[in-house]
Amino acid sequence: MRATRTNTLIVWITAAALAALGYWHEVTRRGLGDPTFVTGYMLFTLMVFLSLYNGRKKLSMISLGRVSTWLSLHVVAGFVAVVLFVTHAGTLWPQGWADRALALLFYLVTLSGVAGYALQLWLPGRLTRSGPEIIYERIPAEIAGLRDAAEQAVTDAAAQSGFDTLGRYYVQTLSWYFARPRYWLSHVFGGRYAEFWLQRRLATIRRHLSEAERSALGRLAELGAAKTAVDAQHAMQSVLKGWTLIHVPLAAALLTVATWHLILVHVYAR
Amino acid sequence: MSIRSMTVSRPQRWDVRFGADMTDAAVDGLLARPEIAAISADNFPQHVSLRGILLNDARIVAFEPGDIVVREGDYGSSAFLILSGQLRVVLAPGLPGDALGRQPALKRTFLETLSQLWTNRRIPEVRDPQRYRDRHLASRRAKDGAARVFIQDLPAVLDKHRTAVLEAGAIFGELAALGRVPRTATILAEKPSQLLEIRWQGLRELRRYDPGWKRQIDATYRRNALQTHIEADPLFAGLSPVARDAVVTRVKFKTYGSFDWHVSYKQMRGTAEAAQADEPVIAAEGTRPDGIYLVRAGFARVSVPLGSDRRTLSYLGAGDHFGLEETYQAWKSGEPVYLKRSLTALGYVDVLRVPAHVLEKHVFPSLPAPAPLASLERPIADDAFVEWLVDERFINSTQAMLIDLDRCVRCDDCVRACASTHGGNPRFVRHGPVFDHWMVANACMHCRDPVCMIGCPTGAIHRHEAAGVVVINDDTCIGCGTCANSCPYDNIRLVEVADRNGTPLSDESGRAIVKATKCDLCADQPGGPACARACPHDALRRVDANTLVSG
Repeated sequence: MRATRTNTLIVWITAAALAALGYWHEVTRRGLGDPTFVTGYMLFTLMVFLSLYNGRKKLSMISLGRVSTWLSLHVVAGFVAVVLFVTHAGTLWPQGWADRALALLFYLVTLSGVAGYALQLWLPGRLTRSGPEIIYERIPAEIAGLRDAAEQAVTDAAAQSGFDTLGRYYVQTLSWYFARPRYWLSHVFGGRYAEFWLQRRLATIRRHLSEAERSALGRLAELGAAKTAVDAQHAMQSVLKGWTLIHVPLAAALLTVATWHLILVHVYAR
Repeated sequence: MSIRSMTVSRPQRWDVRFGADMTDAAVDGLLARPEIAAISADNFPQHVSLRGILLNDARIVAFEPGDIVVREGDYGSSAFLILSGQLRVVLAPGLPGDALGRQPALKRTFLETLSQLWTNRRIPEVRDPQRYRDRHLASRRAKDGAARVFIQDLPAVLDKHRTAVLEAGAIFGELAALGRVPRTATILAEKPSQLLEIRWQGLRELRRYDPGWKRQIDATYRRNALQTHIEADPLFAGLSPVARDAVVTRVKFKTYGSFDWHVSYKQMRGTAEAAQADEPVIAAEGTRPDGIYLVRAGFARVSVPLGSDRRTLSYLGAGDHFGLEETYQAWKSGEPVYLKRSLTALGYVDVLRVPAHVLEKHVFPSLPAPAPLASLERPIADDAFVEWLVDERFINSTQAMLIDLDRCVRCDDCVRACASTHGGNPRFVRHGPVFDHWMVANACMHCRDPVCMIGCPTGAIHRHEAAGVVVINDDTCIGCGTCANSCPYDNIRLVEVADRNGTPLSDESGRAIVKATKCDLCADQPGGPACARACPHDALRRVDANTLVSG
């Protein structure tokens, strides 16, 4: 409830600030003044503020307000930055390679930010419903455990039945699935490729198996389903953890190029 | 295929004695003492004989001058009878916290907080060994192997504080043992003393079968605690002092369940047996209420039958009532009214029963009609969350770490924030039981009934007076693991500690020094728990179970 109130307040203040900015920009322009210098500095200040969010996360021991409030400010400031950027540049795609590089970086940072925010809204709910919650760092151990259980089931079936049909099939086909996380993209987008693949492969061998091996095949189906759930956790958690590896370096590059842009403006603008 | 099984003898109550070195000769000696000789052994059933209680539920412990016998604020599960020697009870305002092994002042300054940026080392759990050498408290091993904490300068302490003498024949500690309340005073040995320590199970039997002990314990309770409890209850707020005294003298009290519920619960947690564990019935539906029940300590489940099991409607904790509406209706209408729900003990519960005739005479005439009981017409699924909280015993929590998995992006910023404020090692695991999209993570819940505090030999784990949170004083923790073993939720961990160079600390025999660690709710950090502050999506909250249930 407190967070909602804070966010509402942030949105209203931002809307008022944007309205004031628009009014000032129009008045200055009609008075034949040049608002570019001021909007440029405002944009640069905003970029510095946006980059502070990552620093705030590192300073968790100091009482600098809740990170969720900082995130709200980060999102709103990002939106304002887009408006300011277009106002400042006067176009969506500026002239000159340096300005174009700056614009490209700005758009990439904005897009990765929007995409990341959307993923953060979309994926957590799907993760919750995709099976048992597993800590990301424990996923390799979880998969190794499933693989060991699968190999044990196959070995036991071979010893019990005296046939190696299931064993050979496991080595040729099914071991691929249990080796490491599979069907990353399908899991991220909610597809069912993994289930489909597993069912087809299990059905293919079923009629060739002895009674003991069929029982082991049932166990493999259970383990495969568990592995599918683990893979889904892996895929979605890796996206949630990984998108910042694009956003943050791009933001750092943007800030560097923007600083260079600022220096160039001061050197050549007179 | 044949099914093999291994036959073992069924575990019995007295398989493990309280005192390993209690012998028949020692019991004979005890039976000759006047305090014990006054007990009529014939009142005790054969399976719980007086001799059996003394042999299995009691032990003789020796204390040297300066030894702390019980500490103010500690939770304890036993009472003491002084056999010989002399003790001192420290009267209010009591000993200062540092003399008792408590945590010193909590809040860090801004600079101390900021300095964690560069003072946190890559090696986790670094300690300054000098701190352990400088501590005020000293501990030693008694002859029975138990750890004893003693005050080094006893005469100075006795000079500076008001104390009262306890001599041979005195009994103390029974209220804390039976009522699940913290010890109200610190008691020290002034001379070499021998005490008979009776664990709560034995004490309960003595109270049940010996009118003398029952009279003594009940009188102490009525004198020290009941008056305050009744006065604090809004139900009795409008009573005159005379009427209140009448209520106090007629209240009956009883304990249900096991004081050590956490031991069996921990073993069964997560299994089907845990949810179906025996819960002693305090009041059964369909029976006529003979008064109302006030929960003084512990928790009780309110349920009704549903199919082959029971449906949990709610739970009661300290200060809650049961049976008021039915008892009131029976009085008002003059017709027999039956209880509509059952009340069962969850683990351990200490209940006061105020008889109907007392209520009818002193309370009901001036009491507005109580609110009717909530309808049972609501969907069964609506009660599932409460049932889960009860089955998992999360009802004990005052600061559970609740994570909304639909918001949590699994970034582990909470874990990193915890590590950065606790010397590089997080004090919780972002994992735990899940109900729908709610996870209660493995973090100390700062329980209402902190069973982890029972049995700590040095008082290192305690409830901080000012902050109200359960904290561990690292300086006085001896790493025995009693608290970690007692915590039913596995929220306390033992860690090996190292010096600033990363060299593991060890004792003279080469064994690693370990310390108990757990969430301290960032009691020393400005701004509250770092985990909650660090969550970018407000997915993590520290919540009280009561708040959760009431929405």
